[in-house]
Amino acid sequence: MKALRIPRSPKVIVGLVILSVFIVLTVIGPWIAPYDPNANTFIPNLTPSWEHWFGTTTLGQDVLSQLLVGCRVTMVVGFIAGLVATLISIAVGLAAGYIGGRTDEGLSLLANVFLAIPGLPLLIVINSYLPAGSQANPLVVGLVIALTGWAWGARVLRAQTMSLRDRDFVEASRIIGEKRWRIMWSEIGPNLLPIIAASLLFTILYAVGVYSTLAFLGLTNVSTWNWGTMMYWAQSNNAALANEWWWLAPPGVAIALVGTSLALINFGIDEFINPRLRAAGLTARQRRRVGLTRRPRLGFTPVLRQSPTDAKKVS
Amino acid sequence: MSSSDTHLVLQVSNFSVDYGYADEAVRAVTDVSFSLGRSRVLGVAGESGSGKSTLVYGLTRLLRAPGVISAGDVTLRLSGAREGETIDLLAASEDELRAIRWSEISIVMQSALNALNPLHKIGKEFDEVLRVHDASLSKPQRRERAEELLALVGLQPDRLQRYPHELSGGQRQRVMIALALALRPQLVIMDEPTTALDVVTQREIVSELHDLRERLGFALIFITHDLSLLVELADEIMVMYAGRIVERAPALDLYRAPRHPYTLGLMESFPPLTGERVAMTGIPGSPPNLKTPPAGCPFNPRCAHAHDRCLSEMPPLSDIGDGGRSVACWLHDPASPLEVPVSLSRPGESTPGGVK
Amino acid sequence: MRTLLRRFAIYLFTAWTTITVNFILPRLMPGDPIQQLIGKLQGRVTPEMIKAIKAQFGQGLNQSMWTQYVHYINQLLHGDLGISITLSSPVSDVLSSQIWWTVGLIGVGAVVSFFIGTALGVLFGWTRGSRADAVIPAATFLQSVPYYFLGTILIMIFAATLHWFPLMGAYDPSLSPEWSWTYIASVLRYGELPLTSIVLSSLAGWMLGMRNMMVTTMSEDFVLMAVAKGLSRRRVMWHAARNAVLPSVANLALTIGLLVSGSLLVEQIFNYPGVGNLLVNAVGNEDYPLLQGIFLLITFTVLGANFLADALYYVLDPRTRTAAVH
Repeated sequence: MKALRIPRSPKVIVGLVILSVFIVLTVIGPWIAPYDPNANTFIPNLTPSWEHWFGTTTLGQDVLSQLLVGCRVTMVVGFIAGLVATLISIAVGLAAGYIGGRTDEGLSLLANVFLAIPGLPLLIVINSYLPAGSQANPLVVGLVIALTGWAWGARVLRAQTMSLRDRDFVEASRIIGEKRWRIMWSEIGPNLLPIIAASLLFTILYAVGVYSTLAFLGLTNVSTWNWGTMMYWAQSNNAALANEWWWLAPPGVAIALVGTSLALINFGIDEFINPRLRAAGLTARQRRRVGLTRRPRLGFTPVLRQSPTDAKKVS
Repeated sequence: MSSSDTHLVLQVSNFSVDYGYADEAVRAVTDVSFSLGRSRVLGVAGESGSGKSTLVYGLTRLLRAPGVISAGDVTLRLSGAREGETIDLLAASEDELRAIRWSEISIVMQSALNALNPLHKIGKEFDEVLRVHDASLSKPQRRERAEELLALVGLQPDRLQRYPHELSGGQRQRVMIALALALRPQLVIMDEPTTALDVVTQREIVSELHDLRERLGFALIFITHDLSLLVELADEIMVMYAGRIVERAPALDLYRAPRHPYTLGLMESFPPLTGERVAMTGIPGSPPNLKTPPAGCPFNPRCAHAHDRCLSEMPPLSDIGDGGRSVACWLHDPASPLEVPVSLSRPGESTPGGVK
Repeated sequence: MRTLLRRFAIYLFTAWTTITVNFILPRLMPGDPIQQLIGKLQGRVTPEMIKAIKAQFGQGLNQSMWTQYVHYINQLLHGDLGISITLSSPVSDVLSSQIWWTVGLIGVGAVVSFFIGTALGVLFGWTRGSRADAVIPAATFLQSVPYYFLGTILIMIFAATLHWFPLMGAYDPSLSPEWSWTYIASVLRYGELPLTSIVLSSLAGWMLGMRNMMVTTMSEDFVLMAVAKGLSRRRVMWHAARNAVLPSVANLALTIGLLVSGSLLVEQIFNYPGVGNLLVNAVGNEDYPLLQGIFLLITFTVLGANFLADALYYVLDPRTRTAAVH
């Protein structure tokens, strides 16, 4: 069993650090928020100051408090939707790829249909038919998002399972008569880990984005604070026209940072899956140190006659 | 360079290659010297990881990062309009290299399927090299030349209209060989060109190469892990282990009477192409990790005849006075405390199998 | 050809699924949204209108589900998408008058970002390991920025503060649509900022994907072979790029849906006419017939674009056209 070892590149570390910060905020955000996000008792349109780090809104609310409180809902919906979608894609992808035949045809068709239908418009339609109470419930919205977001992962997992199915070690377990689910779980599963991880990151990214978009459109309960609702209020109060950047920027940048952190971690997984992507890894400074005058170019192997290995041998 | 060297195409001296840089560098090829005469065929043999491919990709400066050439000189004698000139491949600029590539040195890779651009028809591959290196050829002339080249390797001209994936493995490799000969280079390098093919096709291609070399007179470096293939084709054979040459001798001599224990093991890994089958014993163990090579002779952990000296001192490649043969093994050192075992000391006449 | 036909069949099946979902959703959703809507509409619209809506969603007709379904499909085949509640005109008329704005803006945006992003990806993949790698973190961030957020920020900086571009709309409100140079120039001028925001936010994704593919392709033997043949740097790059672009084209089909969805919101931000704007308004006003019509339109357009992308792949990669002979 191969453990998932993500290459420790600076990209992955930065990604993990940013993500951890947001996960911590998800837990403690509502507790450390300096004010009640709904309180509209402050002077409107204050620029950032010591009292209000991110200023106040046109409605006289504290932006930082909204951001901190909104972090939890946004992240929880993102993670729930991401997890559920990934579970669906694992089930569908493994079943289609391993069992094959009719099962595969049916499940692949299903995945193809969900891939081809544009997710956001479908979500908007489903969401607008939901009873008002469910629309406000982040959990329901998260599950609906999961429903539209599993197909990509299922497709990738199916392809990988199919290629694993015919490898020697799986063939061997089949011959010695191991049960089908056991082979799937103990032989194929571990080898799919990097792809499952990538697909989890991808669906969380998708879910955070889509949930914020729905909220931004005012399709979720606009009085539940999340980053999308913050932008909904900013937009409906023309914050852009009034140049109220401190109101607009925090939720947008927060969404982008979460997205960036997930993408950075995904770089690491990509390099794990596809070693060709690993950086041939010399910075300009390292190059100078080893004596290369320029980046090694394809088909022009550098010549470095005073090689350090010679020096090492002498010493 | 003395006047007697004018028949040499390639001269390599003290050539070394590293993977990685500075403290993390790993020596992959160490101190290789050899020269190759016009129209001569040099076989390079060794297991995978022995450095044989690294050697030739390094010589041609085609080795990918993090490969670095760390020592040596490589001189190529030019032909045609530049007859009489030589070029130092390790000092050449990108433009100078580009000018001699394919027109003076061409290469055939192990997998033709990977080496041919999947989006190009075969005809386009020929057209491209001909056009880039000789602007004077017209399109019909290039096409005619491509058809001649295909005929040379026994393929029909209609193959020019095909994509690589539409050809069989043998056909693709023949296309690669024809392509390598397109500009009449002096030196052709073949990196395990037949390894991916079935035995019958292997044989056919090797004998075709033999004929082509006779007719066209190019020098050939042929890399393989299958020594028996080389006997048919090569004038001289170099056996590599852990990035070093461990034995070098005229092809027949080496095949009839190997002197290095590794060469013997390598020969026993493959049945002879002709003649009766013998039990394949091969070599126990696996090639050393180049990051942490064993002290002394790198072959010592796998060698049945290793003794104290082998564990501490690296044997140099030296002439043992057996018809131009060099071996890097303490067994053949005059001061060796051991008797040379029979299998490594038999005279050249006893031919295993029926080598022609 | 079989692959392409197969894809076509899948898209056809998807289209049918979409229609069916569209039919079932309003009828099966808990809480009976249509009944609620009709309740809200009483007194606000004419009784004929209410009758038409009831008919469209099968309320009070005493028809079996199946009869309704057949009727629904028959209507769709005749291009009848029902009547918009808020606009009181046939949905098909509303859509056909607005779709060209969307096609113009999002279509051009998608094509431009694909080409620029792919070209940059080729370049950055080729120069991997050089200082140009510094763009990757920036591009990753840009890729994660929501379209509507980027649009809002661009408006704030370049329209509201610097006044370099018009704030919103699709053309100068003092003009009326006509085939005149002034009008066309105005449309182009008003399109600059929305187009920029679409291109900027989707560019990074193409670029990063293409860079990865370029790096992967450059480790293929045939690229090294191109160098060994003594080809010029540009020619070698072309060998790699043509192969590397194939997965991008294959991905095109997967990405079009996401791209279109994201871009639709840009219309809302810029108050730009078009399907996206209509969609947001239809949701806000609970204009279900319009909402459903838009959903069908977007889905069919995306399916069509998917098929075009598949066809393009088929043209570009000879391996899809011919099975191996041997």
